[in-house]
Amino acid sequence: MTQPPNGPVSAPSPTPRPDAPGSSSTAGRHRVVVVDDHAMFRTGVKAEIGRAVEVVGEAADADAAINVVLESRPDVVLLDVHLPGGGGIEVLRKVHEKNPEQKFLALSVSDAAEDVIGVIRAGARGYVTKSIAGDELIDAIRRVAEGDAVFSPRLAGFVLDAFSGAIDISSVDEDLDRLSQREREVLRLIARGYAYKEVAKELFISIKTVETHVSSVLRKLQLSNRHQLTRWATDRRLV
Amino acid sequence: MSATEPRSKPDSGERIASDPAPTPAPGTSLPAPAAAGSTPEIARTSPAPGTPAAETPAAGAPASESPIAQAAKAAADRDAGQVTGEPRPRATRPAETAMLGGVCAGLARHLGWPVLVFRVGFVVLMCIQFVGVVIYGLLWLLLPPEPIRAAPGLESAARSGMRDATSAFSFRRFDWGSFFALAALGVGLLWMIQISGLGMAQEIFWPLLLACVGVALVWRQADISRQRQALAELSAGPRSVRAATRGRTLTVLSAIFGLVLVGAAFALILAQQGNFELLPNVAAMTMLALAALAIVLAPWLHRSRAELNEARAEKVRAETRADMAAHLHDSVLQTLALIQRQSDDPKVVQRLARRQERELRSWLYGEQTEQVTFKAALTAAAADVEDDRGVPIELVTVGDSPPSEAVQAIVAAAREAMVNAAKHSGADKIDVYAEVFDDELEVFVRDRGSGFDLADVGPDRMGVRRSIIDRMERHGGSAEIRSDPATGTEVRLKITNGS
Repeated sequence: MTQPPNGPVSAPSPTPRPDAPGSSSTAGRHRVVVVDDHAMFRTGVKAEIGRAVEVVGEAADADAAINVVLESRPDVVLLDVHLPGGGGIEVLRKVHEKNPEQKFLALSVSDAAEDVIGVIRAGARGYVTKSIAGDELIDAIRRVAEGDAVFSPRLAGFVLDAFSGAIDISSVDEDLDRLSQREREVLRLIARGYAYKEVAKELFISIKTVETHVSSVLRKLQLSNRHQLTRWATDRRLV
Repeated sequence: MSATEPRSKPDSGERIASDPAPTPAPGTSLPAPAAAGSTPEIARTSPAPGTPAAETPAAGAPASESPIAQAAKAAADRDAGQVTGEPRPRATRPAETAMLGGVCAGLARHLGWPVLVFRVGFVVLMCIQFVGVVIYGLLWLLLPPEPIRAAPGLESAARSGMRDATSAFSFRRFDWGSFFALAALGVGLLWMIQISGLGMAQEIFWPLLLACVGVALVWRQADISRQRQALAELSAGPRSVRAATRGRTLTVLSAIFGLVLVGAAFALILAQQGNFELLPNVAAMTMLALAALAIVLAPWLHRSRAELNEARAEKVRAETRADMAAHLHDSVLQTLALIQRQSDDPKVVQRLARRQERELRSWLYGEQTEQVTFKAALTAAAADVEDDRGVPIELVTVGDSPPSEAVQAIVAAAREAMVNAAKHSGADKIDVYAEVFDDELEVFVRDRGSGFDLADVGPDRMGVRRSIIDRMERHGGSAEIRSDPATGTEVRLKITNGS
């Protein structure tokens, strides 16, 4: 929510980001907390990502998650959307009150639009479904830890859906309330199943630029309260 | 899902805790327990506690039967102990072992005594100034009828007509032998007492007897109709509904008969007082008093009826939730069974898991679309291909469009593209993206498998040209195929969707 605003969207240079304390010292191995109410799933995820990241804590409900996250200050929190004690959104809110820099990657079996958009608007840096392969998950964690946003094809589709229609540029006054043509293209390619690398190649831009675009979309999604998004959200009982 | 929890619990603490509250008059039906039905545990496992000794042929030999009854009781206790882990079942009135109201059977089960003791006891007590009758009547009112309970999956299956509940809970054959034995005993005793002059005055005795029989008839009928209704609710099948209707006319008839008996008792008393000419006046006064009572009680009656309906509606909602949970669990169970059987074929296992996942998703989080829209049609096509070919398809759609010719064409072409990708590319995943613009539909089908060169498409792969490109062009659209051995294949379909 209180993400430092990114630089101008057009600037292809990577945006430097203040890292969470203690994260830079771990020589490539990111520190991760796994929050999920299914013990079996936590075990599975730990086994899958354990070789590439350091799992420093886990929690099974919202209260425990808030404590663990605030205490251990991991690089990335893998956060289940459906969680006893208020859900993932509650964890996001409470943790960001104390530590606005904490990065979250939402993880869920549900791919209902309400869940996906809701958790992103609450401040998660990305969203993947639980059926994601181990390597892709590690990649997503790394990306989030480095300050980028992780958009699955489905999330990209939802965002396009939310911002779609009425790209009537003349009537839109605020930059936040619409996606630029480029951002739209990037999202569309992601929705088509392209990896960031492939998106970059397709659009003849650098990967870093793709990441910047995606981060910018994320910021718009989180900060925008343009009527279109609000209406879309209301239609789907999001707000 | 958690809605199933309390229901599946066997009768342990929870049922004890709810005390045997005075049930409303038997005519009104109880909310939860009554509709929940009659006891499967007992119907199924059944040496039902307190099985009447007269199950055995000779009705008039209590001494020789009591061991059997005790054995049955012991078995029942064992049963109860195993099932519930509690020493004493709660006192209820079991329907299927009931002779009249089930009071004796229920008490016998509750206290662990042979049921015959209670039956004979009540008959004897009846002869002492009708004390037995009064006690029996009170207990009839106070003891709740035994509810029908089954596992949530079974109950839900019965509700949705997937199994026949009536056959599972068929009523025990009525035990005429022991009924006549007890009746004979009662009549004999009464006769003796009346003859010996210790009984009541004749002019009170006969009307009282008549009234008792009438009331018993009405009450019993109320019990039975409640059971029937519960069963009918349990199994929505046409057969049981017919049975329930048949039962209803019978209920009405015997209720009327019971009322006539009670009325006759009143008339008899009046006639004996010799004030026969006052009968119309008395009747009018009685009617007036009853009407006044009804008016006074009307708000209360109305409220309790409303509450009853509310409770009923809540129960229906709970049942719907339970049904959903059961459906889910059922299909997951099936899939797990299939996976176990085919565990050596990872391809099949993956396909099964994927299909189950998709089903669960659409159940839990899916948007219910009645209409076959663009999105729905594409989703169905993707699901089909996924099932047939066993390759996961990731489908993302933006926007939706009502069905049209263009929609049909592009969905058919997209399906062909998906089949091609699944069949030939060897990719382990296919990404499909569809977007609806104001006047245009666009679908991308992408795989990361081995690409091919469209120029040397063999004759066996004419599907690409004919089903995809030609089809799109026929409908005024276009298909573009980009393929490259390094990155795989992407099919882009585009069509104008003039509305």
